[in-house]
Amino acid sequence: MSSHDHTLAGHDAHHDDHHHDDHHNPGFIQKYVFSTDHKWIGIQYGITALLFLAFGFYLMMVMRWSIAYPHEPLPSWMSWIFTDGWKARWLQDGKVTGETYNMFGAMHGTIMVFLGIVPLGFGAFGNYVTPLQIGAPDMAFPKLNMMSYWLYLAGGLVMCGSFFLESGAAKSGWTNYSPLAGFADGQVVNQWLSGQTQWLGGLVLLITSSLLGSVNFITTIINLRARGMTWMRLPFFVWAMLVTGFLLLLAFPPLEAAGIMQLMDRVTHSSFFMPSGLFTKSEGLADLSGGGSPLLFQHLFWFLGHPEVYVLLLPSLACVAEIIPVNTRKPLWGYKSMVYSVLVLGFLSFIVWAHHMYMTGMGPVVSTWFQTTTVLISVPSVILLTAMIISLWGGSIRFTMPMIWACAFLPMFGIGGLTGLPLAFNLADLHLHDTYYVIGHFHYVVAPGILFGLFAGIYHWYPKVTGRYMKNSLGHLHFWPSLICMNIIFFPMLVQGMAGFHRRWYNGGDAYLSKAQDSVNVFGNTVVQHIDLNILMSMGAWTLAIAQIPFILNVFLSLKFGKKVENDNPWDATTLEWATPTPPGHGNFTFDPVVYRGPYEYSRPDCEGDFLPQWVEPKAKPAEVKPDPVHDNTPSAH
Amino acid sequence: MANSPEEIKKATTSYLIVCGILFLGTVLTVLVATLPALDIGRHGFDMWDCVLGLLIASVKASLVAYVFMHLNHEKKAIYWIFGSGIVFVICLGALTALAYSDPLHDPFFK
Amino acid sequence: MEIPYIVTPRKDTGLFNSKIAIWLFLASEVMLFGGFFSAYVFLRIGADYPWPERTLPVLPGLINTFVLIGSSVTVVFAWASLKLRQWRRFQIFMGITVACAAIFMVLKGIEYNVKLHHQAVRLKDYTVIEGHLGYEKEDGVEVKDYKGHKIEENQILIEASKLTFSTVRFHKPWVESLMGQAAHHNAEITLTEDIKAITEIGGKEEVIAKAGDKLSPGLLSRIQKAHLAARKSNSVHRTAALREEWKIAKNDSPELKGWQLAGAVSVDPAALAPKLISEISTVGFTVNPPVEFMFRPRDVQEGATQSRLRDDTVIEGKLLESPMIFHHVDAIDFQHLAMKAEQKGIDPISAIDASWLVQNSPFAREAWEWHKGEVAKLEAELLKDYGTDKKGNPKREPTHKDRYRIGWKELVKKVESEGRPKLSGTASLAEEFVGPNYAARGDETFPHFSVPREQIGFASKFTPSWNTYYAIYFTMTGLHGLHVIGGAIVLGYYLFCGKKMYLANPEWLANRVEVGGLFWHFVDLVWIFVFPVLYLM
Repeated sequence: MSSHDHTLAGHDAHHDDHHHDDHHNPGFIQKYVFSTDHKWIGIQYGITALLFLAFGFYLMMVMRWSIAYPHEPLPSWMSWIFTDGWKARWLQDGKVTGETYNMFGAMHGTIMVFLGIVPLGFGAFGNYVTPLQIGAPDMAFPKLNMMSYWLYLAGGLVMCGSFFLESGAAKSGWTNYSPLAGFADGQVVNQWLSGQTQWLGGLVLLITSSLLGSVNFITTIINLRARGMTWMRLPFFVWAMLVTGFLLLLAFPPLEAAGIMQLMDRVTHSSFFMPSGLFTKSEGLADLSGGGSPLLFQHLFWFLGHPEVYVLLLPSLACVAEIIPVNTRKPLWGYKSMVYSVLVLGFLSFIVWAHHMYMTGMGPVVSTWFQTTTVLISVPSVILLTAMIISLWGGSIRFTMPMIWACAFLPMFGIGGLTGLPLAFNLADLHLHDTYYVIGHFHYVVAPGILFGLFAGIYHWYPKVTGRYMKNSLGHLHFWPSLICMNIIFFPMLVQGMAGFHRRWYNGGDAYLSKAQDSVNVFGNTVVQHIDLNILMSMGAWTLAIAQIPFILNVFLSLKFGKKVENDNPWDATTLEWATPTPPGHGNFTFDPVVYRGPYEYSRPDCEGDFLPQWVEPKAKPAEVKPDPVHDNTPSAH
Repeated sequence: MANSPEEIKKATTSYLIVCGILFLGTVLTVLVATLPALDIGRHGFDMWDCVLGLLIASVKASLVAYVFMHLNHEKKAIYWIFGSGIVFVICLGALTALAYSDPLHDPFFK
Repeated sequence: MEIPYIVTPRKDTGLFNSKIAIWLFLASEVMLFGGFFSAYVFLRIGADYPWPERTLPVLPGLINTFVLIGSSVTVVFAWASLKLRQWRRFQIFMGITVACAAIFMVLKGIEYNVKLHHQAVRLKDYTVIEGHLGYEKEDGVEVKDYKGHKIEENQILIEASKLTFSTVRFHKPWVESLMGQAAHHNAEITLTEDIKAITEIGGKEEVIAKAGDKLSPGLLSRIQKAHLAARKSNSVHRTAALREEWKIAKNDSPELKGWQLAGAVSVDPAALAPKLISEISTVGFTVNPPVEFMFRPRDVQEGATQSRLRDDTVIEGKLLESPMIFHHVDAIDFQHLAMKAEQKGIDPISAIDASWLVQNSPFAREAWEWHKGEVAKLEAELLKDYGTDKKGNPKREPTHKDRYRIGWKELVKKVESEGRPKLSGTASLAEEFVGPNYAARGDETFPHFSVPREQIGFASKFTPSWNTYYAIYFTMTGLHGLHVIGGAIVLGYYLFCGKKMYLANPEWLANRVEVGGLFWHFVDLVWIFVFPVLYLM
């Protein structure tokens, strides 16, 4: 910055203060609906995402019925939600049809990934916690923040609204592969009113939302850090959010391109992803010129698809990384190596995508490349997990509710990660591709892994948001059945997958059995041997639903009846969000936050408690104060 | 960043020069593509026309980015941000190209 | 509360917020357009048809490039003027920028419009004919359809005697069109027979619509309502019955698993029958007298005696001759045919000589013979200019496109070489923008030609559906156009609504213009690649 700055611009900063007075009281709508406060937007994200998660969960329960009892009508405790007209269209004599199963499967995946976990992790926790942890008054662009929430909601409603159309919602899997998705609902005269087209429309809205969100996050983290908050003093949570932001920013646009092209295929009858000779008018579909490439869609999709997995994972990992040091009362082990790992993880996640496509006829060179990078990316992941496990070593652990969830996260995510390795090797993938093994692996990562981490986060920051603790009794009632049920559901999937169960059997292998009663390999008929696991897994899934009731009660009851927090820092934590009033007001901090040290100063013998928060001014050791990067014009640490 | 009046006035000339180069570059691309006398490689469109056309376009694009978008004197963070976009877009193109250029040759699948 | 670093840059990063944000956004845009450029490359490499090389008129694209580069410069000057606090100069430069955006979009609009009205057809033997469809005429007067619109000569004509609608899926505008067309030809569409239905459980069959009732969306909706109500009620009872059966089966043999029992459990239709009411899934209508109906080719799957619309309406009746009539053919393209022939190891020239078009159209035969001579001339010329290589092969040869495509300029050249007068300079310049001038050049250059329906393999206007080249062309330029419009709106906002902010906080406005300008340069930067890639390669 040149010195001329002051002559031209220096005095202007205060000019505008009058327009920004925070003294006027905003009305109800401005405060709670179209709010620009990052904390309230975070809560909006959280509530919406939890509702979508519940809906996605419900779709899965219906699917599990179809798998366990394919020939029996859907019981009324599950089907009451539908109108009779809807049932007449989508259930055959009360049974779930293949078409309906496909629709529910596609929407379950879409809702859980795009409308549930990402908004909960990145949207809710990111929004609420990030500005607090870096000591900022709000996000850099509050209005943009609001817009990204409303775009997300609009996208979600457009997608889910298509359940009420004659064509139903999208049915081509959450991956939306062409040409399947290209001609799905092809008979619908007005293409805009078909589930598949609405799915794409909703996707474009969601991508726009996450683009605005990630721009906002990264700008906030780069430019709005408090005085003294150097890069290496950032809590790990913020680092994870920064990387997540970059993943969303750079990985989503190619999918947007693919989405736009598929939209063109559907609406303008172009042939981006439609090969020649596959469709003609005589098959009742629109006339197409052909000449496109279905594989192109897969490349563009998985270019997003793989980083997306880390977009799901990192916020949850970040929550756990915050909770562990607070509850072990010792610094996070290997903070720096974790930061570098997460950066490497972010970079590598862009160049591993085609391990989802080993079976598409890629040659040995390119398969080897993707196999190598995929194995490489497990290195930073393992570093992250190991560092967190080592952080437990020798700590005097407080088994608070969040800590219990976090402790469960570690082994569950470990199983999820390790079961991924066989899929990374293309020889093993030949056998396991498109079986329940893949489903088991992915769900171990996402459900007992990521979701447990996010639950931990909810229990951890609830006292900051509401001023009350969540009830421990209900918490345990939520935790233990969840942990057991998750394993009942997903562990048999790994077994079934190795036994050869295809992931898209809508009747759980029944049709296969009746066709291939006597097909026996050296192990006997592996499908007969494992088909009864279906019922066990489905029972587990429905019990898991019951196990969430204590959680819902806990969230609402604790608002009123939870134990009040004793002070603003109930967990004795060191990061900046605990320096704010409870709950934080608009503008967050009541003082000008200055950061004097790293984020995890626990087990310090030299201070009164055993911890030294980032914002507390040092007493005895002035040497600890580093030069102020904002005001002293020194380059940042990174 | 050219922020002071003197710097801006000085930069004006360079803006005009770059504008001139851009116009010339555009004319050149068209001539190379349409005039048989300037056609390199074989007759009609071929690899060399493609390389030359993209080369001229890249030079023009770099000039726009460098001078008009002030990348010639920008802060470090901007280079990281924009650089990451460029790096990953190259990854996208190059690895997809690799996947296309290396199809599976299965003798049983002809 | 005040967000810091909106106007002044932060010391350690040296940046104000929106500048970081716009660069992040641009990085994202790089990925978006990168996705499209990758798609372009792979569609082109993987194309299984001759990619249309250098097919767009260069002039509009060239002018647009100048316009965008110019506006890029003026937006920098606008920003510089703000920095120097010269409001008037800012207004002028920003005004030029926005005007440039408008010129760009107008030229783009002309380009699009020409394509959207230009027809192409690929025959079954892969010959491609391009040109302009006309409107149906009788004794020199244009015929109007029932709505009073002109009729483009690309319709499927069916003399329908019977129509059967799907109760659930019928498309209301199409029903209305059928009614309108019938009325236009003084025919009536009436219900063929009484529709009898049981509408209540245990009730008696009653007539809900009488034979001879006239077709109307209202009538169809009424039947649809009855059908949906029946479907709903029946589904409830079938479900209950099946549930009951399962209960019994499980009680009888508790040791068996569901999948072992499944074959034995079913609902007794006779026991269920009294509880069911009538579902009416289709309704038949008679056209009296049978008259000619027109359909857009994309909507109908035609057959000799029975055709089907996309909304599952079945039309019974004779398929009439429904040729596609070009009032002006302006190009004949054998590239695809030649490519297919080469793949089969057939000599492309003899394949073209034997093609349906050359066999059946004297004009095409003449043009093809003339074109072969032209190719020979070009070959000789190239041999003379560039010579041969060491092996004795000519260094330069006519391209595939030179050999097998007869474009509109060739057709013009042909007739002009036969002594037809040339067009004036301005008229031929206009042709560079809006395509060949049929009126001035006349039928002699661009003749009338009728393509029988059974010869058509695939037909389309020059829209995204014609081939993947036009698909990517429209998608990329369309998306780029949206960026131009978006950028122009933002810059226009600073121009027209910026005065107040300029007076209050000029530095903030300068920052905003800088950020808007960065976006504008990026739009220019994308065009710098789009232009050669789509127009010149």
